[in-house]
Amino acid sequence: MSEIVYNSFLEKNNKNHKFVMNESKYLPASLLLPAVILILFVVAIPMIYSLYLSFTNFTLIKSTGYKFIGINNYITLFRDPIFWRSFANTLIYITIAVNVEFLLGLVIANMMSHVIRGQGILRTIMMMPMMFAPILVGFQFKWVFNDQVGLINNILYSITGHPVIIPWLIQKPLGFIAIIIAEIWMSTPFMVIIFLAGIMSIPQELFEAADIDGASEWHKFCYITIPSISPFIYIAMAIRSLDIAKAYDLVSIITGGGPAHRTELIWTYVYRLAFTSQKFALGSSMSFITVLLSFAFTFYLFRNLLKARKI
Amino acid sequence: MKKILLWLLVMLIGISMLTAFSLVGCKTTTTTTTAAAETTAAAETTKAEGTTTTAATASSEKVSLKGVTIKAAFIGGANYEEMYKAIPKFEEETGAKVEIVFKGDGFQIDKKLKTDFAAGTVDYDVCWDHSSFFTQYIDAGGIIPLEDYWTNEELSDFIPMILDSGKKDGHLWIIPRHFDISALHYRTDIFGDPDIQAKFKKETDTDLKVPETWDEFQKTALGLQKILPAGMYATEFAGKEEALTGRFYEILTSGGGQFFDKSWKPAFNSDAGVKAATMLRNLYKAGAMPPGMTNFVWEDVAKNFASGNIAMYTEWYGWYSYFQDPKSSKVAGKFDLARQPMGEGNIYGGWAGQHAFSITKASKNIPAAVALIKFLTNYDQQYNESKLGFLVTRNSVWDKMIEEAKASTDPLAAKRLELAKLQASEDFRTPPLVAQWLPSSDILYPVLQAIILSDKEPKAGLDEAAVAVDKLMHEAGYY
Repeated sequence: MSEIVYNSFLEKNNKNHKFVMNESKYLPASLLLPAVILILFVVAIPMIYSLYLSFTNFTLIKSTGYKFIGINNYITLFRDPIFWRSFANTLIYITIAVNVEFLLGLVIANMMSHVIRGQGILRTIMMMPMMFAPILVGFQFKWVFNDQVGLINNILYSITGHPVIIPWLIQKPLGFIAIIIAEIWMSTPFMVIIFLAGIMSIPQELFEAADIDGASEWHKFCYITIPSISPFIYIAMAIRSLDIAKAYDLVSIITGGGPAHRTELIWTYVYRLAFTSQKFALGSSMSFITVLLSFAFTFYLFRNLLKARKI
Repeated sequence: MKKILLWLLVMLIGISMLTAFSLVGCKTTTTTTTAAAETTAAAETTKAEGTTTTAATASSEKVSLKGVTIKAAFIGGANYEEMYKAIPKFEEETGAKVEIVFKGDGFQIDKKLKTDFAAGTVDYDVCWDHSSFFTQYIDAGGIIPLEDYWTNEELSDFIPMILDSGKKDGHLWIIPRHFDISALHYRTDIFGDPDIQAKFKKETDTDLKVPETWDEFQKTALGLQKILPAGMYATEFAGKEEALTGRFYEILTSGGGQFFDKSWKPAFNSDAGVKAATMLRNLYKAGAMPPGMTNFVWEDVAKNFASGNIAMYTEWYGWYSYFQDPKSSKVAGKFDLARQPMGEGNIYGGWAGQHAFSITKASKNIPAAVALIKFLTNYDQQYNESKLGFLVTRNSVWDKMIEEAKASTDPLAAKRLELAKLQASEDFRTPPLVAQWLPSSDILYPVLQAIILSDKEPKAGLDEAAVAVDKLMHEAGYY
């Protein structure tokens, strides 16, 4: 009798166990489901709709009666020299800005890691440029580089003693350099903060061992600091690259992409196409090309990040 | 588990795609709805024939709009908003409630209106409008014709050339609030200085005088630049966006040229166009304009003049009080005004525009919207606006303004108004009334910049822009 009771208990318990097992299988998915649905509604649907529009001749003032035109918008873009110019400008802009920010960030973070007293204050001061809205930074640098009342020309006037009128925002390649400087000023602190966090997480024992071995500061920097913070470097550079690839407000205020498209970037051109020129579908096409490239770039960077972590 | 998750994902993507395409369907439905609204509006318009008299006299007879809420999207900014302080009076008189749902600058409202019209998300009855922009909203199906809601008698007080600039395809689309046109602003302390006059005569072998034609303008600027101190410039123009295209358009048309021909083909690459673009390039190349001018818009050029760095340039009347205020301007009391220079076509420059009001097709209460616009453009409001320095659009207010200005201590007060009224009556010329004006400008102005900076030759650059504008007009269905 007791055996029967025991077997029945085991059977029942087994069923419950199965249920718990099944529940644990579906639990993560069911918990994630609301978030997934929300993201799909907020991100995926507008993106799919925008993708659909990129294959039509939809314009802001002819929002009805538009028709499917296949890949015509993409062909138009690939034949548009300003598209290629804005694309090349954006690549140059990202390459220079991210690399300079990286170098400056690394040097400043390394220097700050050696500061023992007042590091908190230094960190706060360092973060200040990040707190400004890009539009404000844009107006600030538009004034700094103004050819008549700007700070730089006035400094040059004070030094040389006669009026110096350099059209910083007009001449090639000064206009481009001006917007890169503004971008670097605004965003280097981000790199500093990330790198500083990385440096501070390196075990001190490594440096002590290197000291015993008689390694120089340079060797410690090259062989301990850099490899140890390489995941931080990849993350910071990936974030910054994607961030700069979206650059619009800063450039829009300082030069507006001009003159004569000299400082045109992808997003200033997208805005121009979609809103001023009313070619919303063409703007959508260009956005999609950019988004796909950003995906590819992110994928590449994260693959390297994983490699760095394995090291 | 993986299979279930995969199925789940496929289903969700499927659902989202279905929703996306149903949204496209909704767009079609919206179209139908809009068309229905159009029919309703048209019916209402027809019906309104009988009630027009009621609506038309709303401002004077104080109709009752108790319980009605009128929503509006208006232009913002210090002086523009003074008018809105009178709205409580309208609310008190009619019982309506006015809710301003959006305020922004002209370009912000333009963007909002275009996106709202496209998305079918208009929730306001009255909107700010502009003579350069309203044709876009007609094409977008966003605004309604207004001629049935205003009697001829009511419209007769508005300056005819300004009122006409709000008409297209035989309909009146906007009711003018105030307008602006440019006049040549020149420094009397420079043009009247015997020393500068003598140097100018020596340099150019001609007398220094206020230019009356664009040829004289160019020669005077080039001559003056040679004798002005470093850091001062003979002239300037706004150098980007519609501001640059508009100035080019002004010189082009006064020279007998056209932006579009009768069949809407671009015609700005004509000899008159090349001459206008060449003048801009010559002035820049000779250093007669500030080197940063291709980055200037209205505030920049006005600030330069107020800083005393410019000898003469064409500017909107709207900046007058700023220039005459010694706190903000170094040229207060040191400048005068002249009619815009004339081109080879014996036509005075007269690029002009008007701020106005329109009624949206989505308006839930057209008579109430009409009543609000009538109130905002009535004699009292226009008179108040004139006191703020705006060039208003009612003849009756102008007569009073000029009469009052004659008693003013400002010697330019009356002259300025008389000149502005003369220009409004004879020279007022809006950009082509076509929705593709701004997109055309967006194609042309970077090319004009390239010409000014000597990156492109004038003829080659304008030809290139003409090809692009031709494509734009073709795609828009003009031919």
